[in-house]
Amino acid sequence: MTDTATSLPTRTSGAVAGPRPPLARRRPSARARLRTVLKHAVLIAFGLIMIYPLLWMLASSLKPSALIFRDPSLLPSEIDMSNYTVGWNALSHPFSHYLLNSAVLVLGALLGNLVSCSMAAYAFARLNFKGRKIWFAIMLMSIMLPIHVVIVPQYILFSQLGWVNTFLPLIVPKLLATDAFFVFLMVQFFRGLPRELDEAARIDGAGHVRIFAQVMLPLSVPALATTAIFTFIWTWNDFFHQLIFLTKPDMYTVPIALRSFIDSSSESSWGPMFAMSIVSLIPLFLIFLLGQKYLVKGIATTGIK
Amino acid sequence: MSLPTSPRRLARPGVRLAAVTVAAALALAACAGSDSGADPTSATDAADEEVTIRFSWWGSDSRHALTQQVIDAFEAKHPHITVEPDFTTWDGYWDKLSTSIAGGDAPDVITQEERYLREYGTRGVLLDLGEVEDTLDTSGIDPSVAESGSFDGATYGVATGVNAYVVLADPQAFADAGVEMPDDTTWTWDDYVEIATKISEASGGTVFGTQDYGFNEPAFSIYARQHGQSLYKEDGSLGYKDSLMADWWKISLALQESGGQPEASRSVEIDGAGPEGSLLGTNTGAMGVWWTNQLGAISKASGRELQILRFPGESESKRTGMYFKPAMYYSIAKTSKHPEEAALFVDFLLNSTEAGQLLLSDRGLPANLEVRTAVTPSFSDADKQSAEFLEGLREDIVDGVAVPPVGAGEVVPLIKRINGEVLFGQITPEDAAAKFTSEVTAATQK
Amino acid sequence: MAGIAELRKLRGSAPASVAPSERGDNKAALLFLGPWFIGLLLITVGPILASLFLSFTDYNLLQPPSWTGLDNYARMLDDARLHQSLRVTFTYVFVSIPLQLALALALALFLDRGVRGLPFYRSVYYLPSLLGGSVAIALLWRQVFGTQGLVNQFLGVFGIEGQGWVSHPDTALGTLVILNVWTFGAPMVIFLAGLRQIPEMYYEAAQIDGAGKVRQFIAITLPLLTPIVFFNLVLQVINAFQSFTQAFVVSGGSGGPVDSTLFYTLYLYQKGFGALDMGYASAMAWLLLAIVAGLTAINFVVSKYWVFYDD
Repeated sequence: MTDTATSLPTRTSGAVAGPRPPLARRRPSARARLRTVLKHAVLIAFGLIMIYPLLWMLASSLKPSALIFRDPSLLPSEIDMSNYTVGWNALSHPFSHYLLNSAVLVLGALLGNLVSCSMAAYAFARLNFKGRKIWFAIMLMSIMLPIHVVIVPQYILFSQLGWVNTFLPLIVPKLLATDAFFVFLMVQFFRGLPRELDEAARIDGAGHVRIFAQVMLPLSVPALATTAIFTFIWTWNDFFHQLIFLTKPDMYTVPIALRSFIDSSSESSWGPMFAMSIVSLIPLFLIFLLGQKYLVKGIATTGIK
Repeated sequence: MSLPTSPRRLARPGVRLAAVTVAAALALAACAGSDSGADPTSATDAADEEVTIRFSWWGSDSRHALTQQVIDAFEAKHPHITVEPDFTTWDGYWDKLSTSIAGGDAPDVITQEERYLREYGTRGVLLDLGEVEDTLDTSGIDPSVAESGSFDGATYGVATGVNAYVVLADPQAFADAGVEMPDDTTWTWDDYVEIATKISEASGGTVFGTQDYGFNEPAFSIYARQHGQSLYKEDGSLGYKDSLMADWWKISLALQESGGQPEASRSVEIDGAGPEGSLLGTNTGAMGVWWTNQLGAISKASGRELQILRFPGESESKRTGMYFKPAMYYSIAKTSKHPEEAALFVDFLLNSTEAGQLLLSDRGLPANLEVRTAVTPSFSDADKQSAEFLEGLREDIVDGVAVPPVGAGEVVPLIKRINGEVLFGQITPEDAAAKFTSEVTAATQK
Repeated sequence: MAGIAELRKLRGSAPASVAPSERGDNKAALLFLGPWFIGLLLITVGPILASLFLSFTDYNLLQPPSWTGLDNYARMLDDARLHQSLRVTFTYVFVSIPLQLALALALALFLDRGVRGLPFYRSVYYLPSLLGGSVAIALLWRQVFGTQGLVNQFLGVFGIEGQGWVSHPDTALGTLVILNVWTFGAPMVIFLAGLRQIPEMYYEAAQIDGAGKVRQFIAITLPLLTPIVFFNLVLQVINAFQSFTQAFVVSGGSGGPVDSTLFYTLYLYQKGFGALDMGYASAMAWLLLAIVAGLTAINFVVSKYWVFYDD
């Protein structure tokens, strides 16, 4: 059975194929070109469908609330920024307060993860100690643990410590390398670094601490960047933990503030809500634009979402 | 919220010791010296220290705006006290409150409601207001609701006002449909269904006769009382027959089928939309069941003058069913660091004409009789209507409703869920009534 | 792929390579692993044990826990809402994951055949994945599928009258499934990377043998992709069982309408943090752990039959 097309368009395939398309100048590439055009068309169309909800939200944030559901077009007939000002001030604090809270949280989580996870990774990758394999297996398994098994006792613990309604329950675990995913990520990376560098440093008289700080870390920028980026995204979006530990309006972070938006105002003020939603997504989008390289590599090599 | 009402002591001290040891060990190992970030340290002396208290309430947009004005007025009078607002819609209020309390972070002044007050009181969360009676004067409160927040020898909440569950109607929608406004002292439940159906038909389905009444249990409470039964009895047990509840649901189903009320998923959506998003509020319906103090918000949203009607069936069966309800309560958290300031604020809310002038009937007809007399002239037309209506009702209301037992708060999400099942046809009214009874029993009869 | 290799090691195949070191590193390990170890005890293992203990008690945070033995577990057998939440969650997992992975694979294959501007398309398809877990998107979704929302406006163009997708119990869960499928970008990136790794020479050899594209796909691509599919499957299942934000926001915290979006974790939250029935919530958490562990184990066992490892 012959196959009418092969995976790569070649010069010969066109000649053996069916009737020539009418306007073809060079027989082989016309068919291929058509296919490429079609391919792009499909990809673009599909991409548009995917992105459409986001575009619609953006457009809606620029329309007066009343028009949002009546006028479905993506291009607002009049650009109205009032949703942004209304939304900014709709809750008991200006939205910047919540952005700041989220930012502080993210910063703490970032520092925690970067420091503690890289340290733990160094131990697993470069140190030889008793029970290493077992501890490593335990670390891997902890990645798969559903958080709900630990959330109730964690809550009780933090509540007894008086840490509820502070950022501590959200940051301290990061300082203790509980995001095992990043430990794993960095172990993989460290293992890829040649041991000769370690040896060279050791000959120079460096102990583990110096090797870690002066040899491994500087070379690990990609892994650190990936860790940083994913920590940022996950923390920025983490609704569940913030919902549970931050109950005072003062301490609200962006996800909680957004949700209380719909909680505390009537269902008809969508415009301001969309506006603030857009505002909350901007940092993610920026990270996406700037950190794509690391995002993609990070996902591809370790399968993190 | 299901909670053990009789706190059981730990049977074996060893187990409790183990739990405490675990907690202690964990606590010891944690890092010390953390900055918990928020409140100023508690002032032992009210006088001139900067104090912040938190006030929680539920409601819709217009209530929030009003309340903010009252807060501003209070702060102007007492510059050293800042009142932090903490508001949500009714739907999210109780979950949020219980989480806050669990987090050791209860608001200082809590708006309470009869279905939850008993539970929170017995849980030890609320302050006995007798302890701050020097600051919070309750002597001027309407006697018919003055004691409603007291039980087990303590006063856990003060009623904010009086209201009643009524049918609100849009005269213009009636006129547009060519249907006459009924005589609300004589109309029956059949009339209700008929009128609603007619209005829907006349408008070709763009304006509905009424909004579903089953998402909230006061409507059933009234129906039961009309038939000589009741939702709860004085002793807290259930006081109705399942068949009666099934009948009550059959009326909604009849309305849904005839088109007198929207179809099920729309009803669900509207229920979540609050007063401003209701059929009346959006000029897409002619009737709806609401508390009298919600008249202002709905009128405003609809842009029309609405009329208050008594519930159908008041003279149809054994007796009248409507009742006066203490609209809400103000309570103070036992864990409040500033009970005196909190009491000062509640006193301002209840007893000052200034607050009364701003709130008018938003929290019900003002509970303080002097304030009520003072502000009645300033009532909006809507509020005047409510006040007159409530006065008119007074003669026909035979008795009050029993205070709901502990666990009654769980009925709120429970009936929403079961009502949804009935509307979507997933369950028959009979089965729904049985299910309701068994779940409410589990929640309240412990 | 690294992750797969590690997972296989857990099954006990290849031993981890060890760097020969002249001195024992135990002391250094203490330093470097210290924080992780403390975290393991206090934040992970300790709470796991504590939650096991709590599952045998009645505890509402305000009064001391009281021992009730297997009561909570017995209650779970009779709890209709718990069963509903299991139904909802299982439906969500077993419907949305195959769809999501199929779409991801399809697009990865489509893109892999050398398209100009691949990075651009990859980014566009990946973006929803990044934003999908946020409250903002969940709020948007509630609107897109609402009675007056985007979907109905679109259908209206064709004269079809849409219903309230989010407020009808038959379709509410579907909107969440669609949301999960919408975030297929991340698995797609993984598949792309995996496809990249398949040596070109296999295809060339097959072509020489006269194999058509379909045959090549079945005989080469698919088998070599199975480790990645497996990997994605394991992770996605574990994640999907823990879904919370979307269900919470789209249903307004109720799991409605009529409990049709009552995800297991949402019910757990309602019980533990709404009703403060922490003992019951802990029991529920352990059931979740058992389910997830069980499914993961099944995944591993079954993988022997369909996952093809290159070595």
